[in-house]
Amino acid sequence: MTYLFIILYTITLIYFALSERVKKFVWLLSIQGFILFGIAFFSLHKIKIFDFIFILAETILVKSLIVPWFLNKVRKHNHLKRVQETSVPVSYSLIIVVMILLFSFLFNNFLNSNYIHTKYFTVSFASILFGIYFIIIHKNIFSHVVGYLIIENGTFLLSLAVGSVMPMMVNLAILLDILMGVLVLGVFINRIGDAFESTKIDKLSKLKD
Amino acid sequence: MISLLLILISSLFFVGIIVKVKAKIAARKMPPVLQPVYDVIRLFKKGAVYSQTTSVIFKIAPLVYFSSVFLAVLFIPIGSNEGLLSFEGDFVFFAYLLGIGKFMTIISAMDTGSGFEGMGANREALYSMLAEPAFFIIAGSMALFTDNISFHDLFLHLKQDADLYYIIGIASTYVLVYIAMVENSRMPIDDPKTHLELTMVHEVMILDNSGFDLGLIHIATWLKFSIYGALISNFIISNSWNLYWQIAVFLGIQFAFSTIVGILESFRARNKIEKNPQWIIMLSAISIVVFLTVLIITQKIILN
Repeated sequence: MTYLFIILYTITLIYFALSERVKKFVWLLSIQGFILFGIAFFSLHKIKIFDFIFILAETILVKSLIVPWFLNKVRKHNHLKRVQETSVPVSYSLIIVVMILLFSFLFNNFLNSNYIHTKYFTVSFASILFGIYFIIIHKNIFSHVVGYLIIENGTFLLSLAVGSVMPMMVNLAILLDILMGVLVLGVFINRIGDAFESTKIDKLSKLKD
Repeated sequence: MISLLLILISSLFFVGIIVKVKAKIAARKMPPVLQPVYDVIRLFKKGAVYSQTTSVIFKIAPLVYFSSVFLAVLFIPIGSNEGLLSFEGDFVFFAYLLGIGKFMTIISAMDTGSGFEGMGANREALYSMLAEPAFFIIAGSMALFTDNISFHDLFLHLKQDADLYYIIGIASTYVLVYIAMVENSRMPIDDPKTHLELTMVHEVMILDNSGFDLGLIHIATWLKFSIYGALISNFIISNSWNLYWQIAVFLGIQFAFSTIVGILESFRARNKIEKNPQWIIMLSAISIVVFLTVLIITQKIILN
């Protein structure tokens, strides 16, 4: 069952590369949250029940409901355009995401380590690489936050890969990181949107004391 | 033989059902399900009109198109019923048979010397070229999955009880439905009901064909839909079922497929022309995911 969610996760990465609409980014992030919930539900049954419930609540509440809801609010506040242009044509992005997927699957086959759960490591590796690529190709700060969240989802899977225990402290730290990151960036985007009436990053070069 | 008959019978109703579903959704009066067949009979009774600028290519193209598609039908098995023709590697032959038909319609469109038809031919060539990798990756993945390279053996040895098979089945069905839409120039790619030559893809190519030739082209379109419906049904029909059950499920799947096409055409907006290539490349990307799943199942990639 875990494999189903892992394959679904790779498909969401492909749709991230395909879509150009801001609304779709938020939707896809929410879907990724649900997929992470599925992965956690089917693979983390050895840990303590309190930790288990905490992780499930974190994925379903924070990753798939609160963060997308907040991002939607930011999107509406700043009157973002429906379509976000990228600096690379979408066809190239699709080819690159496929390359990333193939590379990460073949790399993990080559790695064949006993210390890492490679099935989680493949998608987490692909997700982190793709998140970085996503940030590079977009010109808008809002999309940068989305890219940051894709990387965060990759980190969540990475913590599953290195040992399916998920220590509580690490978990809390990641959760705090995501929430603070998104809140601070959201406020930041709102302020920039109010000041410049646009959230494109080329406007940021004009920022001065 | 059974598979050939089934595909021919289902092809007669396919477009009729699509039109019926679209009419029902738009709350219009529904035409009879055999209306497209009556239209083609009417076309067959008419003679064809040829422009003075066209050459022999334009005259033979519809025949070659029809016969290549008909020949392709002979290769399709349904469940445990073998197609009339079968040999190792026939799925490559199948793809290029459809390719020959497409090539002939493209050069016949260019033969008319009309700017619009050349433009349509250009688009059609691009879209089929982009859809081809998706089909080959799916067929190749199936070949890897079953260790067989003919259509019949490939579907006969499909291990439907294998772990993760449902991912392969669902993703392949999704890709094949949309390849069928690309090949037949239907909704997300092209709107068959559009009335502006500048935005047409397939319809603009056959503007000059009339009478008997146009009838042949319509029949080839039905057959193509039915071929893809049969391919999709092979992912679902199990060989252990008895014959009547297999036939019933096949007809059910064809009906469901045509209904889905009707619903998609009623509710989906057409892609912008410049967004089409990236959308078709996405199909190849999804089929790569199928390929990776097959690699995991067959333990060519070992993940722990």
